[in-house]
Amino acid sequence: MRLWELIRTGLFEIYAHKTRSFLSFLSISIGVAAMLYTFSQVNGMFVQFNKALDLVGHGRLEIERKEDYRSRGLSPGLTYQDALALRRLMPELHMVSPVAQQWSQRFRYGGFSSEEPVLYGVTPEWAKRDWVYTLRGRFINDDDVLFAKRVCVMRMPGGWDEKPWWAVFWEDSKYDDFAAHNDLLDRQITLGDNLFTVVGVIKEPPRDKDPRWFSREWGSPIYIPISTYQKIMRLSNRGGKPDEVREINIDVGRGELVPAYQRRIKAVLLERHRGEEDFKIIDFRDRFQNILKNQRETARQVMAVGIVAILAGGIGIMNVTLATIYSRIKEIGIRRAIGARRRDILLQFLLEAMTLGFFGGIAGIALGYGGIWYLGRRSAETLAALELWHFAATLAIAVGTGFIFSVIPAYQASRLDPVEALRYE
Amino acid sequence: MIRFEDVAKIYGTGATGFEALGGVSFQVRAGEFVAVVGPSGCGKSTLLNILGLLDQPSRGLYALGGREVGTLGDGERSQLRRVKIGFVFQSFNLLPRFSALENVALPMSYAGMGMEERRARAAGLLDRVGLKSKSLQTPLELSGGERQRVSIARALANSPDVILADEPTGNLDSRSSAEILGLIRELHAQGKTVFLVTHDPGIASSAERVLSIKDGRIIEDRRR
Ligand SMILES: Nc1ncnc2c1ncn2[C@@H]1O[C@H](COP(=O)(O)OP(=O)(O)O)[C@@H](O)[C@H]1O
Ligand SMILES: [Mg+2]
Repeated sequence: MRLWELIRTGLFEIYAHKTRSFLSFLSISIGVAAMLYTFSQVNGMFVQFNKALDLVGHGRLEIERKEDYRSRGLSPGLTYQDALALRRLMPELHMVSPVAQQWSQRFRYGGFSSEEPVLYGVTPEWAKRDWVYTLRGRFINDDDVLFAKRVCVMRMPGGWDEKPWWAVFWEDSKYDDFAAHNDLLDRQITLGDNLFTVVGVIKEPPRDKDPRWFSREWGSPIYIPISTYQKIMRLSNRGGKPDEVREINIDVGRGELVPAYQRRIKAVLLERHRGEEDFKIIDFRDRFQNILKNQRETARQVMAVGIVAILAGGIGIMNVTLATIYSRIKEIGIRRAIGARRRDILLQFLLEAMTLGFFGGIAGIALGYGGIWYLGRRSAETLAALELWHFAATLAIAVGTGFIFSVIPAYQASRLDPVEALRYE
Repeated sequence: MIRFEDVAKIYGTGATGFEALGGVSFQVRAGEFVAVVGPSGCGKSTLLNILGLLDQPSRGLYALGGREVGTLGDGERSQLRRVKIGFVFQSFNLLPRFSALENVALPMSYAGMGMEERRARAAGLLDRVGLKSKSLQTPLELSGGERQRVSIARALANSPDVILADEPTGNLDSRSSAEILGLIRELHAQGKTVFLVTHDPGIASSAERVLSIKDGRIIEDRRR
């Protein structure tokens, strides 16, 4: 018996029992779709990881204050001076960018006023960091820092390129709305009691195209020279430590250099902090891995759903196979009488089930691919990171399910006594 | 060509066992026409099923073409059945969803024959039984007589030596019966060995050999 004929008989039977076939077909395809989704997620993670690394550089470190550290009173904390010292000692570094951010100041322009914007004190090196913006005017420059000028750069939200369904309740804040509709470049704004000139406006990429899934600064930042920031803070007399910075971002260039620089930076800072290790140096690659851990967990759950669905589909196939066998006992007898061997019968039912699995798999791939495409279309995280072998693997799983779950019924069919089968009505 | 020695078939075991065939012995030469007669339930179908290698004797020896076949395994019996035996049943036993042509071609596909050859051969066989014009109809669209002709064509698919017809005219009117019997006689004339189970005394009396069975035993083996 040729393969094609067995498959054709299988198709015949599948068609003859539409509802039954459709149900197992459905669960197989849901299972396959879930599998495919998992594959795309897992692969998408690698793609994202590499993309993010390309954007931030492979040699990125971030120095942060240790949150739970109990100071012995020796260390001045993580300061702008630390950043300057590192810059001086390691001039070859691609970037040493301190960021100060401790307090906010009321924003006022014309009649509009808001507490929303967050004030950041930065140096020109900030612009070396994950630059994904479009700039009008200019960024903070060395002169601004040197003379502690009252200038600022405003950051505008990018909005959505295409608003995804889940963001319908995502409202732009009043401040964002104001900023989006008023061109403040070269205007004077008030931050607290101080007048600033807006020398630049940077606009974020649309939210759904933003590759910086790893670190989003929420709120609407306004950047001012770090020296200006410290000066105002001192003047405002509100306590806090004006010298302190929230973080120092460092780019050592290449990934291989990271461990060595980690050690050197640690030594320098320990000395400056008089032996107190009140800071931590984070390798960005570790940070990505951590964030991806959550996604991996999600993928695992989807995978579990997929496996359950495939199992349900398999049981459906088993049911279909059993049912077809019972309704075709006579046929089995006839086939045996005209010379079919046991294994011909076995093969026939196995192939029918595998055909069912195959088409369930095809439908599942269509379903899954459609869904993944739909999701991927609306987010920057390329979900559609599917490779050809993913399709092959899912299809193989579907066909394999058909096979595994029909082995027992098909075997039973092949063991039927031909005489009794013929007598069966 | 066919030799039975003390062949018995017992259904069930021990005290509850039922002896459908109780020690049957006979020999049949190639090309003989054997009518098998006897009351209902006497074991005629059982005999034919053993002859056709569908069933295995519980005891005794069955030699086909000089070879002991009663004790062969399922695979070998299926293979022999495929090439040496053609069954014709009272209830036709055609596959309802397949066309006449496909039904006739099915045994050939189990024998591994190619698609083209099968089609040509099946069409030829249908022509031979006078159903050329209905080869694409399914059994449900055919009359009883036509169905039986399809099943005779199917029995001839792999050119078997032996035709086993179990009451082939049992479900047919007299005119169709006559046609079917005509076809079976033709096969005999072409040299096939034929076993024909029948209730019709007229048919029995015209056969060259008649095996009369009662309660699983041969009570008369008459040659003309
Ligand atoms: N599988 C079986 N189990 C028990 N008894 C059976 C079985 N098959 C047939 N028989 C019995 O064997 C006897 C012979 O049956 P059969 O050969 O079909 O008779 P017939 O001569 O009418 O064709 C009958 O009495 C029948 O009831
Ligand atoms: Mg009978």
